[in-house]
Amino acid sequence: MNKIFNLMIIFTLMTFLQSKELEIGSKIPLFAVKMDQVNGNPISLKDAMGKNGLIVIFSCNTCPWVLAWEDRYNVIYKKYKDKGFDMVAINSNQGTRNSGDSMSDMKKHAKKSKYEFSYTLDEGSKLANAFGASKTPHVYLFDSNARLVYKGAIDDNSRNPKKVEDHYLMDALDSMIEGKKIAQVSTKAIGCTIKYVDN
Amino acid sequence: MKIFIYITYFFLISCSNSKIDLVEANATDIKNEINKFKGNKSVLVNYWATTCSPCIDEFPMIMDLSKRYKDHLKIFFVSTDWIEDKDNALEFLVSQNVEGLSFLKNQKDNDFINQTNQNWSGALPFTIVFGKKSGNVVDFWEAKASEKRFIRGIEIGINEGELNE
Repeated sequence: MNKIFNLMIIFTLMTFLQSKELEIGSKIPLFAVKMDQVNGNPISLKDAMGKNGLIVIFSCNTCPWVLAWEDRYNVIYKKYKDKGFDMVAINSNQGTRNSGDSMSDMKKHAKKSKYEFSYTLDEGSKLANAFGASKTPHVYLFDSNARLVYKGAIDDNSRNPKKVEDHYLMDALDSMIEGKKIAQVSTKAIGCTIKYVDN
Repeated sequence: MKIFIYITYFFLISCSNSKIDLVEANATDIKNEINKFKGNKSVLVNYWATTCSPCIDEFPMIMDLSKRYKDHLKIFFVSTDWIEDKDNALEFLVSQNVEGLSFLKNQKDNDFINQTNQNWSGALPFTIVFGKKSGNVVDFWEAKASEKRFIRGIEIGINEGELNE
């Protein structure tokens, strides 16, 4: 009896995990929900949409992997802005608002890291929940119809941009621009858990 | 005098050999080590990094559990620190009195994560439990967890295949 119960727990857990994350082809969840951002003007992902698509990055102020990849945030934003793609970084760490992820902390961080794109505060981790996002940094790339075409890592080397072999996100963006199929639609990388509020 | 020098030399060498062996490994290497315990002990693998504060927070508790359950459970730690930070990882493991074999990821993230467990997003910490009897995955969780959660997972691993009346 215990064995069956244990198996039930495991399968429930696995189902929960497997069905959680946004699938390729899904539309942007909570599209019109306004979020506060560091420049003071509330913005929704709908507002942020570029002509050809939108790059959404779940991010934060302190995760070492965010800090490692951050040197590429502006590079990617600037390269693809002129090609009709906009970008939003979202801080969903509701659980650490009082320890490094407040709006005040976000403003300081955006200024220090010279963010040129929107950096928004996801109140109550609503968007992270709707996306099924579990870590930072984590990218969701949407096309002009607000459909998910790529999710996962920026590239294959957080530590050293010069040693990157697979530029996952930029390759996906280039494929979209060239009207080609994206070769790798989903990748994974090490990162920090999103700090949801404990239940 | 010569004998004295030789004795001192070997003494120093044996002292300087840490009780811990931090080995660079890919997901397959780690699986091969885990498989050695099938039928003998449950295995718990904890993926961590020196830069991951929730990982550091739960570490002493995991070490305590490793002592409590040592007759039925083998615990492996896998550091996902960058290779350049191997010394930091080693220093931390020594400070926590980790002994024996420990791993440092030397594989690209995407391959490592997918070959470790398809349900893992890559977030740290990550913990997997392999059943004592089958050596198969019986439980796993992402994020820092309570001792209660760890014990639940460990007991599933240890009791796998046992009939509980």
